[in-house]
Amino acid sequence: MAEIFDRLVIRILLAGFVCLMIYAYRYAHVIFYPSVKRQVLKRINPAENPADSVHLFSRLIGIALIFSSISFNESSGFFLSLFHFAVWGTIAIILYLLSLFIVESIVFYNFDYTDEILKRKNMSYAFISFCHAIVIAYLTRTVMTQSDNSLIILLVLWLYMLVIVGFSIKYYTFISKLTFSRLLIQKNLSLCFSYGGFTFGAGIIIASCFDQEHYDITVYCVQVLLKTILSLLIFPLFKKGLVYIFPVKLGDERGFEGQVDQDMQNLGYGFYEGSVFIAGAILTTMIVNRIQFGTIYPFF
Amino acid sequence: MYKFFLYTILVIIYLGLAKTLSPSEIGVQYLQNERGFSKIVPGEEATLILVDTHATGFLIKTYYQKYRLISTMDTVEEIIVRTSREFAKRNMKFIGLSIYRRNHEKEEFLPQAPGSLYVGNREYGEWRENKKGVLKWRFAKAFKNYPNYLGWGKFRPTQEFADGYKNSATTNKPYFGLKHEFGPEGRITRENFPHFFKDERMKKVDMKTLLIDYFKENF
Repeated sequence: MAEIFDRLVIRILLAGFVCLMIYAYRYAHVIFYPSVKRQVLKRINPAENPADSVHLFSRLIGIALIFSSISFNESSGFFLSLFHFAVWGTIAIILYLLSLFIVESIVFYNFDYTDEILKRKNMSYAFISFCHAIVIAYLTRTVMTQSDNSLIILLVLWLYMLVIVGFSIKYYTFISKLTFSRLLIQKNLSLCFSYGGFTFGAGIIIASCFDQEHYDITVYCVQVLLKTILSLLIFPLFKKGLVYIFPVKLGDERGFEGQVDQDMQNLGYGFYEGSVFIAGAILTTMIVNRIQFGTIYPFF
Repeated sequence: MYKFFLYTILVIIYLGLAKTLSPSEIGVQYLQNERGFSKIVPGEEATLILVDTHATGFLIKTYYQKYRLISTMDTVEEIIVRTSREFAKRNMKFIGLSIYRRNHEKEEFLPQAPGSLYVGNREYGEWRENKKGVLKWRFAKAFKNYPNYLGWGKFRPTQEFADGYKNSATTNKPYFGLKHEFGPEGRITRENFPHFFKDERMKKVDMKTLLIDYFKENF
């Protein structure tokens, strides 16, 4: 009984410590978004600016996702496991915020956070930012799990992951019919769904490429690169196939000029594109990772 | 058109990178034909016996062959090579036979029952008369394991058998032994390479049996 109670106390204490780390994260968030200092450090009013709430709390989900990959090893002692969590939690916070900063600098290169979120309350911007926060968190989590408590490997894989994410983001303009910058200025929600689907799809593919056994970092990086290129080859096949199986009609024969463009800006079209991206990505991971070719050695 | 071009470039990049960097491509040498043995077989004296052959792939087959390499100083190792389709098909009927031999500068590519490099060579052993008065080849103590390496088992060649090597070389025809003891149909090969002749590898499965087995195993 005493042992069970002791374990319960340890769990409660550790939960408290995780909350403390998230509190630390709240301040770390201000480093990259100094303009929200007043909002973040004081009591938050979600109703005042929903876009800002989405933007901020998506990061909370993200950091929770990453923290969930760090484990406590109580056999090495309570304080040592706390120290381990503090060290890796801090590294996670730094890497996560840096990744978000870099990715958002690429995607929103001609948009400003203060203008779009604080002044214009652009929900489209906030939702896209939400998708980034979740996907980057999921990828950072995967990379942290794969690094297996090695800081050097973590840094190498994190940089590698960022490069792949950076390239994948640019891929959106190739496969979507929607114009990113124009629709984002218009606070168009169709873009959110389409881009959200694309981001989640890309995240699923990249995470699946990183999620594999590794004994040698060089061979592992080569395998990740090969899987990424293979995914790049397979994904368009599924996208074309899904579009062919579920054809969509845009505009009307007797419709007015520009109706096609208007239809594309509709929420339904954005959801359609997003669904195709996610479904295609999930199916791509199946083709890339779930086919077992076996080896020649059982026969030989 | 632009996208198609980009896709083709990606396919080429993938194939090139996979070929260069993939671990499965590293370490297995490719053999176009028997002439390639000269590069992969080390040492001055060596015999290569075809032990196993296997094909992988669905539409485009890749052929692998496993050889037992017996070189001087009583060493034996198994090597796996990737081969061309023609070479693999041609060698299918030479399982258990010596496909390649090297004796200093001289190379032989004619498939023969294993042992032609050693039988009759006084450096490796001598002819000894058995109880029935028949002369049979006996390896010296230093090479006592050679009959196992060569896949002979308890078989010991007679002088008549050894003459078959010379006749085969003269007529340039593969030599399977006096009574076809070696090769896929040979008794000695079947006894000493049981892995290749396992029932499950030999039997041809029809679609009906395959489906019945599948449902039995999975449901």
